[in-house]
Amino acid sequence: MTAGELGHAADTVVGEPNAVADGPFSTRQLLRLDEALRSADLQTGLTFSVYIGELDAPTRESAEKLHKQIEDADHAVLIAVSPNQRKLEIVTGNEARKRISDRDAKLAGLSMAAAFAGGDLAGGILSGIDQLASHAGRH
Amino acid sequence: MVIPAAIITVVASLVFAGSDRTRRTKRYRPGRPYDFQPIWFLASPEQVNGVPAAADDHHQRAIAAPVLEDSTGHRVLPGPVGGASDSW
Repeated sequence: MTAGELGHAADTVVGEPNAVADGPFSTRQLLRLDEALRSADLQTGLTFSVYIGELDAPTRESAEKLHKQIEDADHAVLIAVSPNQRKLEIVTGNEARKRISDRDAKLAGLSMAAAFAGGDLAGGILSGIDQLASHAGRH
Repeated sequence: MVIPAAIITVVASLVFAGSDRTRRTKRYRPGRPYDFQPIWFLASPEQVNGVPAAADDHHQRAIAAPVLEDSTGHRVLPGPVGGASDSW
């Protein structure tokens, strides 16, 4: 593990870099997450993003608000996870939902929730990104 | 007499050295409080903007949309975004 690689992974995160360093993931998990997001974006032409943290009371609305903040939200896919509320929201934009149907999203959500229930936060997110990207297909 | 006492001491010290309950583990465990800062991962972070002003006005409808269902009877979320929700 080099310092350069670590900087590269921290690069992909919005907000305080310390929040990531003190976060629930190891460096190896951060690197895998970074790689998964990059390859999913490249493969599908959609913008994948992952939010992990508290969501406001109607979690669906709160996740949709976050989704709107992404540039070109129509082509964006947001996976919002709130470990405290034990809630998971997958939001697909108007164009993205034509490629990832709500049933596909539900299926990916089920396997992610199963991993989270077993305490595997990083593994669940990685498999979710992978499933959603494969449902979306190549662009 | 001394030997069993020594063994008990050694085993007890090993047990308590391994279980430092005050130290917070970094791993997420279901049911335990998760008190990390929110994080947001993107392949390119410059793609996040502020909330667009009055973005909701566009989608205001006079009457509520009917419940949409696909061919298998699953509910399709109405509105411009899709996706799914789950909990564990």
